[in-house]
Amino acid sequence: MSELLSDYTVRIVVMGSAMIGGVSGALGCFAYLRRQSLIGDVVAHSSLLGIVMAFWLSYVITGNGNKSLIVLIPGAILAGLASLLLTRAITSQTKIKEDAGLGVMLAIFFGTGMMLLRWLQRKQPPIPGRSGLDDYIFGMAAAMTSNDLWMIGTLGTLSVIVVILIWPRLKVMTFDPQYAAGLGLPVGSLELVLLCLMVVGIVIGIQIAGVVLMISLLVAPAAAARQWTHHFGRMIILASVIGGVCAAGGSLISAVGSNLPTGPVIVVLITIAVVASLLFAPGRGIVFRRLRSAS
Amino acid sequence: MLLDDWSLTLAGWTLLIATVTSVACALCGSILFIGRKSMVSEGLSHAVLPGLVIAFAYTRDYSSPSLIMAAAFSGLLMVWLTQLIERSGLVDNDAGLGIVFAAMFSVGILIVNAKLKSTHFHADCIIDGNLALAPLERLVVGNRDFGPEAFVVMVIVLAIVAIFLGLAYKELKLGIFDPVLAQQFGLRPTLVQFVWLGIVSITTVAAFEVAGSILIVALMIAPPAAAYLLTDRLSRLLFFASIIAIASSFLGYYLARAIDISPTGPISSMAGLLFLLTLCFAPRKGLLAAWTQQRSDRSQTNRLLVLHSIERNGRVPKDQFNIADNRIERYITQLCDSGLIRREASQQLKITDAGRSALREVFDRQA
Repeated sequence: MSELLSDYTVRIVVMGSAMIGGVSGALGCFAYLRRQSLIGDVVAHSSLLGIVMAFWLSYVITGNGNKSLIVLIPGAILAGLASLLLTRAITSQTKIKEDAGLGVMLAIFFGTGMMLLRWLQRKQPPIPGRSGLDDYIFGMAAAMTSNDLWMIGTLGTLSVIVVILIWPRLKVMTFDPQYAAGLGLPVGSLELVLLCLMVVGIVIGIQIAGVVLMISLLVAPAAAARQWTHHFGRMIILASVIGGVCAAGGSLISAVGSNLPTGPVIVVLITIAVVASLLFAPGRGIVFRRLRSAS
Repeated sequence: MLLDDWSLTLAGWTLLIATVTSVACALCGSILFIGRKSMVSEGLSHAVLPGLVIAFAYTRDYSSPSLIMAAAFSGLLMVWLTQLIERSGLVDNDAGLGIVFAAMFSVGILIVNAKLKSTHFHADCIIDGNLALAPLERLVVGNRDFGPEAFVVMVIVLAIVAIFLGLAYKELKLGIFDPVLAQQFGLRPTLVQFVWLGIVSITTVAAFEVAGSILIVALMIAPPAAAYLLTDRLSRLLFFASIIAIASSFLGYYLARAIDISPTGPISSMAGLLFLLTLCFAPRKGLLAAWTQQRSDRSQTNRLLVLHSIERNGRVPKDQFNIADNRIERYITQLCDSGLIRREASQQLKITDAGRSALREVFDRQA
């Protein structure tokens, strides 16, 4: 084990995963409390289209497929935001409800993303650098490089700074948007900030969790953390710790085992954390409630 | 013998299988859509995986009916777990669904990677399905060839869906729109809903083996949403949704052939595209129709304003209405043409009797 941890690649992967899990878990709290979990699922799926498009563009422009995060992340963010705003437009202009609107975005963005991905994978002559592009479906922490780590670190730090700078406003906006509007806060821009934070949380996370399972890394730490505390700040910190530990543990297991994609391992670990929290959290937990009603 | 003549080409069979799958998915999806449960199909399409692979790990037989039963059971398990979490009040509903289906899907993927790597359950197939190869596995009982197995299975599933819809149409409709009233009629909406979700689950599994998880979601959600923009009646919604789903399958299939990839992604993309087209051009509820309606409403109001001020002042005061001058000129010409006002020799504008009565009518209606 200690031998494994001293390995440079493994160290990068575990450190990176911890960081990613921490950031995604923390930012997921906003989505969780704003009841936007499924929106997160759809944004994650949609970002595949952005990733594949960005890769393809880099190939068209430079003649060489570029898979570094500096290229892929802007694409993912754009696609994620586009699917969100389109859903908004559909639900506000027609009587179609949000869940169907989101499902349609899944068909458009994820379907088209998969189509483009498969096309790029089969294209002749082969595009240099295209192998490993489909790791984004289920996540592959092992592919992380130190450059990627810098990119993720920068984005994570930026979003933490944003959260800290406008913390009181974000808090009001998260719990009671109408009250925030009543206070004269710029609700529209705050809403956009929150959406961007969610998209960043997702886009960072898909590197290890993959687009299909990202919803779990986003909201499950928040759901677990929520059981232990009523305090928003503490909830965010706890969610970030849970996300970080599970992500690091998951990518370590995935690195040790053969043929284990990182995403599913992480998701199983986080789900164990959720179940444990639901059962044993003091005050809210199911066991605690049973005990109280028995006495 | 008839069955021997079923020698369709590979493309023909693929399209036939895709058609049956599309209709089954669209029918299930329409009911989910009006119950505002569309995203349940996203959950189901992932949650059936563990049941499917566990059953396969035991039987090692792709065509064993126990696979479908086990997978449908694991779909229902997801529904039940989600409801359990929802009722506990500990986790927000949306998040409960997301956490449960992601967890179940992960377990499925891990089992596949640990035990079944060399079988056709590898990760790509779970996402993409196997539509292009589906016609090759034929169902042979004794000496008789019943055609591709996927086709036979999907036809049976479609029949189950259609029969249940036919039998429980009223119950489903009432149960979705007014569970309390349905209860009072003695219709047992909970039971009907549960059986219905079981059937949706079976459809999902059967479609999963041919179509993979993306396509199920796309076919269950996009066509009903598009059909909803075309009609308000449930029976027509079911019909239009099926047609749109079939159209997506055909378009997607030929697109896939053209660029030589698995048809799953293209079909789902086409379903999305057809939705967007419907969204723009649907006769009444489409964006274009709404926009033209809004424009004509606005110019109607403006014309009335101009008419009113001509009645009052004999002219249209500048800069009062926030309407551009050339527009005002156009409205005046239109009013002249329809005989509501007339231009006197001195270029003075005068309202006619017809104009007066038109104004009265509007004011009376307002009053």
